[in-house]
Amino acid sequence: MKTFVVLGSLFLVLGSLDVSAFAANETPGTKSKEQTAEIYRPQAGKFPDLAKAHTYRGELVFVDHVNRRGSLRVLGVGVFRRNDPHPFAMLPYGMIRYHGAPADLRDIPLGTIMHVTAYLPPDPKLSSVPVLPVDSKDRDANHYRGIGVFPAENHVLLLEDEPSYCQRMGMTWKLKGLDLEKPPGPILATLEPKQGGDSKATEQKLTFDSATRIWRGREALSVADLIAEGKKSLDGQSLQLGLTWKPCPDGIFLRLHISDIWLDDAAMQRSAQNQAETHKAFIRSRWMPAWVDSVEYGKFGRAKVTVTLFGGMDPTLYADFQKANTARINAAENTLKHAGGHYGPAHMASRGPIADVIKFTGAAPMGSSGIQVVMETDLIIEGIRPGKVVRIHPGPWAAVDLPREEYLGDGEFRLEDRFPTPAIFPKY
Amino acid sequence: MEFKSEFFRSPPTPVALLPYGMVRYHGAPADLRDIPLGTILNIKAFLPPDPKNSSVVTTPNHWYPLPPENHAMLIEDEPSLCLREGKTWRLKEVDMKNDQGLVVATCESKDAAEAKAPEQKMTLDATTRFWRGRESLKLADLIAEGTWPASGKKSLGGQSVLLGLCWKPCPDGIFVRYHISDIWLDETSTQRAIQSQTEVHKSLIRSRWMPAFVDNVEYGKFGRAKVTVTLFGGMDPALYADFKKGGQTAINGAENTLKHAGGSYGPAHMASKGPILEVVKTSGAVPMGSSGVQVTMETDLIIEGIRPGRVVRIRASDWPNLYVPREEYIGDHPSVEDRFPSPALFPRY
Repeated sequence: MKTFVVLGSLFLVLGSLDVSAFAANETPGTKSKEQTAEIYRPQAGKFPDLAKAHTYRGELVFVDHVNRRGSLRVLGVGVFRRNDPHPFAMLPYGMIRYHGAPADLRDIPLGTIMHVTAYLPPDPKLSSVPVLPVDSKDRDANHYRGIGVFPAENHVLLLEDEPSYCQRMGMTWKLKGLDLEKPPGPILATLEPKQGGDSKATEQKLTFDSATRIWRGREALSVADLIAEGKKSLDGQSLQLGLTWKPCPDGIFLRLHISDIWLDDAAMQRSAQNQAETHKAFIRSRWMPAWVDSVEYGKFGRAKVTVTLFGGMDPTLYADFQKANTARINAAENTLKHAGGHYGPAHMASRGPIADVIKFTGAAPMGSSGIQVVMETDLIIEGIRPGKVVRIHPGPWAAVDLPREEYLGDGEFRLEDRFPTPAIFPKY
Repeated sequence: MEFKSEFFRSPPTPVALLPYGMVRYHGAPADLRDIPLGTILNIKAFLPPDPKNSSVVTTPNHWYPLPPENHAMLIEDEPSLCLREGKTWRLKEVDMKNDQGLVVATCESKDAAEAKAPEQKMTLDATTRFWRGRESLKLADLIAEGTWPASGKKSLGGQSVLLGLCWKPCPDGIFVRYHISDIWLDETSTQRAIQSQTEVHKSLIRSRWMPAFVDNVEYGKFGRAKVTVTLFGGMDPALYADFKKGGQTAINGAENTLKHAGGSYGPAHMASKGPILEVVKTSGAVPMGSSGVQVTMETDLIIEGIRPGRVVRIRASDWPNLYVPREEYIGDHPSVEDRFPSPALFPRY
């Protein structure tokens, strides 16, 4: 026996390629002829129209965080447990939020119920997940699964957990008939506007158990702690809930489970702050994603490059982009992987001073920060052309080397690196 | 994987759990789904039992010296290792600068007679969680209390704690320096973390059934048989206690990944059922991977999946009758593509 230490990172990659109902036997463009006038796909260089998005919910089942993709079991009207995990990919400017703060896919625990705002693949030929017929969301998946559990809109603009969604929408949960001493039984809950309430809100049945975490101020509690305090009910109290799913008895199609309860604003704020710090540290080491708006070419490889920083980050990260700082810009792919990085992303990056930082007036589209950075460089390369995705470093952040799975190789990229085949296994 | 080289260059190494392989997180039983990505894990592993049936690459072809021992018996995070081996981290000193801390600490045996452990340097920052009693604290909370410096060096006096470790990219060409994700400051907070994870895993096993392998089958007539299984180890004792003589049980074929064989209508639908005739606890030490608990049951439906040496899942009579999600059971006609999806699943243009 050999003992060693390893970084738990990619245990769940293979599963992310699970085949959904239509992918293997139907080619888009055969049964469902795309009629250009009716089909909306995001375009390179433009943030998509939020009104054209398809929204749904799903349980995070697999995650391939370095390729910014995974699988969700999509909530529909049928038997939830029968829904095959449905692959999704984050758009380059796609945002993830967890506990009301910016996040990366690696921060989201498996099993978390997520709200999804998504589109058809911008370019089906380059999709990193299976491309489905455009009308998939209207098809019955059979086998008691119902309609809508394999939507073709699998390129995600916004992926957020329940507390993030509720805070964005100004909603709060209220529990009814909750007896803390009878955890296996379902409880009734309503999701209502935080201001004003809603007496007509639909009641939903949820479960909780002794694994449910309860947050109050700076305390991390269990159901047993509340019972020991003499508390028997949380009836009528406004709460934030973290939701997951556990197998249900008695043929119930779908009943969600409460993983976390935030009893007060202080507790929610502390969770949000912790997640915000996690993501700030992450972006400072991986650089800010952006795309190139324009390039003014000079002589001998010089150019003035204007980029729009992607949205959804903590404001302090954007504030680090200051005029006259020396920035670095590195080509990236749509998964936001750095192009080249054997000696750190800074090694191959183009450098130069920040000539200007421009903030849009008015509301920026979802996906955009509303901030443009103009920088000069004497090394304009193919990866830094208008419409391309890049990573940009503002100057004050530490220069670090990234792990092997988070950058592309230098000229040794193969299709099999992206989609390994059974050929990686030896023959006997 | 950790080498005496630059950690960031080490490619992710595939690992499979043996059927009786155990995962431990925060000092309690766990499933892989419970472990956050990025957690530093300690592994005890073997060569693939049967390379032909390995679910991960058996002959790593890479210039890094990846170990072929990639079938894990035990995967555990840092607190679990320390609790199992009776070790503790002692914090010597912290040096704070720009909200980043450099901690000097030693991992020592609680047995004072052991040789002095070498000092290690680790980082911490505003993302580090501190656990004290039932409090979940931030670095800013400790600085506000005055127990932690806002800047500069401070001796921590060898304070005994448990550490959760992860890794973040290091500056200045440092080969490997771990980052502290969590610090448990006292015994109460440690026990609460253990209890929380234990409840998560108990709920999982009650819904997915107890894994075991078949020791022996005494065949009767017309499909009847007496089946003896050894329950796999590392679970909470309350789960083993649910197997009682006289109770009704159900046993289902499983594969080495512990996926149920068939489950479109729930694992109970295809399972063989019958009474528990006996529960025997091995006296003395049991090998790692085993619970030391044997259950003998009788069934009138002995099938191919319940032969000596096979992996099964067995349900105690008091556990709820639940349906598992689609990816956690194999279909009635599995294909190799289900196990190793190929690019063929993508449409051609």
